[in-house]
Amino acid sequence: MSENTVTFKGTVNGLTIIIKPEAGFEEVVDSMRLKIESAGKFFRGAKLAVRYRGRVLNETEKSQLHELLKSESGATILSFEEEIVDNSSVCQKSNPPVSERNNQIKKYMFFKGIEEGRTKFYRGTIRSGQLITFDGNLVILGDVNPGAVIEATGNIVVMGLLRGVVHAGSDGNKEAIVAALGLNPTQLRIADIITRPPDEKGTSANQVPELAYVKGDMLFVERFLPQR
Amino acid sequence: MGEVIVITSGKGGVGKTTTTANIGTGLALSGHKVVLIDTDIGLRNLDVVMGLENRIVYDLVDVVEGVCRVKQALIKDKRYEGLYLLPAAQTRDKSSVTPEQMINLINELKTEFDYIIVDCPAGIEQGFKNAIAGANRAIVITTPEVSAVRDADRIVGLLEANELRNPKLIINRVRIDMVKRGDMMSIDDIIDILAIDLIGVVPDDEKIVISTNRGEPAVNDDKSLAGQAYRNITKRIQGEEVPILNLETDDSIFSKFKKMLGFKTT
Repeated sequence: MSENTVTFKGTVNGLTIIIKPEAGFEEVVDSMRLKIESAGKFFRGAKLAVRYRGRVLNETEKSQLHELLKSESGATILSFEEEIVDNSSVCQKSNPPVSERNNQIKKYMFFKGIEEGRTKFYRGTIRSGQLITFDGNLVILGDVNPGAVIEATGNIVVMGLLRGVVHAGSDGNKEAIVAALGLNPTQLRIADIITRPPDEKGTSANQVPELAYVKGDMLFVERFLPQR
Repeated sequence: MGEVIVITSGKGGVGKTTTTANIGTGLALSGHKVVLIDTDIGLRNLDVVMGLENRIVYDLVDVVEGVCRVKQALIKDKRYEGLYLLPAAQTRDKSSVTPEQMINLINELKTEFDYIIVDCPAGIEQGFKNAIAGANRAIVITTPEVSAVRDADRIVGLLEANELRNPKLIINRVRIDMVKRGDMMSIDDIIDILAIDLIGVVPDDEKIVISTNRGEPAVNDDKSLAGQAYRNITKRIQGEEVPILNLETDDSIFSKFKKMLGFKTT
């Protein structure tokens, strides 16, 4: 049962109850009872003209809610009617609550400017314990040492040795890439894929510029300069 | 219920992290379920010494802040059955965790593990307070240096003030040749000052440097004298009576060998 199945709103004329259009009747009753309970003695002794909106109620449902209000709230209910539809209630009906909408957007609205988009240039060595984050592409003009973390919602390019933890496409863009003059990260993450270098060490001498990208659910690393 | 042991020293660089890694590995090798907690937030090392740095996704701060569950943050050491590491955060500082949060975390881990070894940061501030919060045993590390012993003494006092009675002592990096020449404090000198029970003496050993750099605890190395010392400490923690490693006889046997082979002995 969601938080805002039923919303109570005090108005000049009394009380307005806003009911979620898609809510089941059982859910409405439960939620309403909870709301009245949490209001405590607030309604006791009051005289209320109650109106509701947001969801269509048939006669039995309507009278049931009326009874519930009367018995639970301790207020005198002068009337219980559907509110005449005005512009604001239409708006309320057609759009889900803002927070829910934001969540839906978030699922699809990761940073997309990896071909062309906002970019931060950071000059200097990133040392252990330093954390650089940016909502966009990130270019480091320097080394990234072990123990450092760099995170960006877009691509990450390191003009130096990358030895720390790197996370490109950190809000979910799998198209993002990581490139470095020396790609030797402690851990490399793109979107929700986490990889670490193979356990056997020794190939630290390879200072060929490399590029990491995701294809399918696999991470690939290859050189990005024409082979010489 | 698991036992919670904090490894502390006051002074930095005396071998807390190395000791934590070796004791933890030793206990796991004897068949216990062990978790190592690094509380040195911002200057974490235990993950590097254990060779598990590149497997960190979540850390101690993520756990106490509720970003992830404890199980998600625990790193299983694939080389040793039953050994887990809870790493510290590197991009945060000591104030990211409170002693209350540590107690809650440790209480949760206690039900799962036989031993919880807490690696304490140097110093006596917030990090130290976090590290000792949930502990029920303490091991103090010192080296045979006046400054290290002084700091260890301060730590013993602080532990007692925090209801951690009866801490045990490990003397690390002992060089018996220097002790003989009178250039280094002897084990007895140190015990005279600190007046706590000795649980082990670890000789100065090159192999420790090699093993910490490689990320493989020396306790697993049969040829390392320090590894032997850590194995003995592990046994003593489990309640076994093991005589303190006699470094002198070891040394003299070694020199006898050298003599036999015609080397000059020092």
